[in-house]
Amino acid sequence: MNDKPRVPGVLFILTLVFIVLTVSFSRRKWMEPEPLKAIALVDPDLVQPTTMRTSYVQLVRMQADLSDFDCYACHEKNKPPTLRFDASNNLVIPKEHLDIVMAHGQHNRNNNCFNCHDEQNLVLLQTRDGRQVKFEDSPRLCGSCHGPTYRDWEGGAHGRTGGYWKKEAGETKRQICVDCHNPHSPKIPPRTPLPPPHPLRQADQARMFQEFRQPEGVAQTSSLPYRGFPIRRCDQAVTTGRLEVGDAAGWKPALRSLGSPLAAAAAER
Amino acid sequence: MIPQKPHPNWKAGQNAGMTRRSFLRGSAVFASGLAALAASLSPLRELDDFPSVEQFAQKYYKELTPAEMAKVLKRIEDEVERQYGLRPHVKDLKPADGVEFVYALNLTRCVGCRKCVHACVAENNQSRTPEIQYIRVLRLPHGSLDLEKAEHDYHPESVPEKGYFYMPVQCQQCKNPPCVKVCPVHATWQETDGITVIDYDWCIGCRYCEAACPYWARRFNFAKPSVPKDRLNLNMAYLGNRPRPRGVMEKCHFCLQRTRAGRYPACVEVCPVGARKFGNILDPNSEVAYILRTKRVFIQLKEELGTSPRFFYYFDV
Amino acid sequence: MTTAIRNYLVFLARCARIAFVGDWRYYSWMGFLSVFCLLGLNAYARQFAHGLLVTGMSDEVSWGVYIANFTFLVGVAAAAVMMVIPVYVYNNEDLHDLVIFGELLAVAAILMCLAFVTVDLGRPDRFWHLIPGLGQFNFPASMLSWDVIVLNGYLLLNVHICGYLLYSRYHGRKPAKWFYIPFVFVAIVWAVSIHTVTAFLYVGLGGRPFWNSAIVGPRFLASAFTAGPALIILALQIIRHVTNYRITDRALLTLRSIVQVSMLINVFLLANEVFKEFYSGNLHVASSRYLYLGLQGRHALVPWIWTAIGFNLLAMVLLVLPVSRSLRWLNLTCVLCIVGIWIEKGMGLVIPGFIPTPLGAMLEYRPSLNETLVCFGIWAFGLLCYTIFLRMAVPILQGRLSKANENPDGWRSAVVSAEAWVKS
Repeated sequence: MNDKPRVPGVLFILTLVFIVLTVSFSRRKWMEPEPLKAIALVDPDLVQPTTMRTSYVQLVRMQADLSDFDCYACHEKNKPPTLRFDASNNLVIPKEHLDIVMAHGQHNRNNNCFNCHDEQNLVLLQTRDGRQVKFEDSPRLCGSCHGPTYRDWEGGAHGRTGGYWKKEAGETKRQICVDCHNPHSPKIPPRTPLPPPHPLRQADQARMFQEFRQPEGVAQTSSLPYRGFPIRRCDQAVTTGRLEVGDAAGWKPALRSLGSPLAAAAAER
Repeated sequence: MIPQKPHPNWKAGQNAGMTRRSFLRGSAVFASGLAALAASLSPLRELDDFPSVEQFAQKYYKELTPAEMAKVLKRIEDEVERQYGLRPHVKDLKPADGVEFVYALNLTRCVGCRKCVHACVAENNQSRTPEIQYIRVLRLPHGSLDLEKAEHDYHPESVPEKGYFYMPVQCQQCKNPPCVKVCPVHATWQETDGITVIDYDWCIGCRYCEAACPYWARRFNFAKPSVPKDRLNLNMAYLGNRPRPRGVMEKCHFCLQRTRAGRYPACVEVCPVGARKFGNILDPNSEVAYILRTKRVFIQLKEELGTSPRFFYYFDV
Repeated sequence: MTTAIRNYLVFLARCARIAFVGDWRYYSWMGFLSVFCLLGLNAYARQFAHGLLVTGMSDEVSWGVYIANFTFLVGVAAAAVMMVIPVYVYNNEDLHDLVIFGELLAVAAILMCLAFVTVDLGRPDRFWHLIPGLGQFNFPASMLSWDVIVLNGYLLLNVHICGYLLYSRYHGRKPAKWFYIPFVFVAIVWAVSIHTVTAFLYVGLGGRPFWNSAIVGPRFLASAFTAGPALIILALQIIRHVTNYRITDRALLTLRSIVQVSMLINVFLLANEVFKEFYSGNLHVASSRYLYLGLQGRHALVPWIWTAIGFNLLAMVLLVLPVSRSLRWLNLTCVLCIVGIWIEKGMGLVIPGFIPTPLGAMLEYRPSLNETLVCFGIWAFGLLCYTIFLRMAVPILQGRLSKANENPDGWRSAVVSAEAWVKS
């Protein structure tokens, strides 16, 4: 069994294989990993710690133009406005205030503006037992009915806190009720969520999008910023999503009549 | 065969086993083998972040003297400037005395908007591609805390959806952390203010901590993290949001560049519905102390594992 | 003193030289392995340059084939003890001259384990952080630190035992019992410990209920003592075929009985596990459900685990029947054992622990081509090492490579002598 003659053959083949490998390895394109597809960025505006709406109190603090909020520009002093109700006892919103949607409580429980507003002095609010409350102190009005939530808010368990937790290091910013809740429609409106997480591998990303049919490369899911912004009439914040109110038909024309492009866009949703 | 030069005293005819041919054959195989060996290492040409001698020999965080730490911080600032063209301010913030952080999250309020996820990403210079997010928001059906029913990828037209509630999960900064227990090199440990931190320059990337974490809170840098230049947060801390290198672990650290300076973490500040609460539990006037005192129902995730998390999920009763 | 050192260096040089000499089958085999080693090295260089992104791992499944192979190979290394015990405790004659092949296999297996762990690291340049004294060694809290100690210790033990025995044989003298017998007995206990510690890596994680079970340790050992001796049975037959080293069929059948008992225990423990997971109906069985039945439309591992169980059951039946006393059937059975247990330990243990994640997410894992090439490369490297060890050990044990035929001209003539020994 003289295998000696086979050795040169084997060594020759081996040399060839090594040379082929050397050449393949040296090529830059050999098995180069493909670059990752860039994942769409989220608009930084969507992650600002601004409040959901800009309340009247914030407008005052910002020294914005408050001419729209001057009640006595239209109303007469010492003449309480009259409320009108329709046949089914629903409050009829006057055309000057059509941007307000009364949805504070289900089944029309809060069907009277003057449950909160002081009809004798429109620049003030009042509790049910007649005590007057300034607009800046509106949490006390809210708390006069919503006790547990008010206590939680005082303790810090409800509502937003920003700024510094360490009092010595800086100011702690607490928001008041109306910074988030529209007092006429206090339920927090639904919003479009930011994009779901992307798995590491392209194949898994493709599968995720295929299964759930979400368009790829969606940077942000709403064209409006999430915060409320001051509009020219009253304090109805324009947010994304639909308001869950009984009769939503009324507020769309009102929004369109405001003349602001964003309000018009919201009306189209 | 090892090619060898014939011995000076070698005479023709002796040692007939090795001929010139076999010598050449052997050396051809050997040489081509060596060439293939060298060529096989050619992908290393693409290596652009090989550590410098300084980085290689950098000591463990707890053993760095203040002078050495200052040098390390400067080195990181130089690196960031080189890479992004912007010079950050990297600090080494130490935990304060008399402070122990606790996090509380109101499950009645969370609407699942994921703003916390992305605010965290922006604040902590997390990689956008590949994507790293410390916070994962789970959508659970009413009535069940069984995480196997959780949906991670929900993306409806609007949230909250009827029949579901939302539970964001991030590092729970456990009092008895399994990740700290299993790390073979002490690259992760819990500091006195309760934050479990990682020394990114010490981690060897074995991912044992990722396997050990019951909350899937830890993330690994499978590739070099990429942050867009215009989104870089220049307020950095060494154990916090300074840019991480490839091949190391990272996770939520309660935004220690903010919290150790007295501010709220980014997720707390951005939450639009105020579901997130943070503070010093040792301060009886803090929000978290109020919550743990007054709320009747709050839960710690997977409490039965004995991890004792600092994260309390509460409800509005 | 200097003579002793010189002698040792000459011995090492001669061993090294002989590794490069052989017949055409040897060169083909070594060439084949070298090619895979080079492919593996190239793939690893790519991973080193680009990061672990080139593998198939992700945050959801953060350990993959590297750790799966590591787990399997620690078992193979531990199985050397299954030859040591019959010889040193029960004075089995047939296996007496063959123990060293098992121990050499253990050395090669441990080298492969160390390689697999190194390629799995995100920062292998920071390996020095693990060295006690130099870095920060989290002993005794971290089971990985225990693993570092026991694996390296086992490597040193076996290198010492094999090295000493071979060197003594090279010199033609009887090895001093005190210099290796105590180490052999330590190695018996140590072998059990390496695999127990590796099991404890998984068992100690409370957050992964699939792993956090007391049966994982015993299962590891039972499957190791099945696959390891099965590998040794095959290796011994190859040695018998290419060299003329004396290996009796009785020795192979002794090993067969070890595989037989271990496989029976392994299958019994599997039955225990399956019962525990599925009978009570509690909610922690998601990983088992995913593995055996598929979960939420994901079922990539189901065919693998049922193949493994099929192989194991078939192997068990064959082992119990006398038909496996015939070498052909025995070899088939050994292959079934090895493949079945490799699948069971790798895909059946490591991967399902990650699916679903602790938060319930389902993301499957598939090794990438690069990752697979690295695995092949390391396996080729291990086989290369083992072949070289055998290439050195067999001539020494047969007396063909010894101090006596060391040419006064020195090591150069070893080339000639080696060539003359080529099986022709």
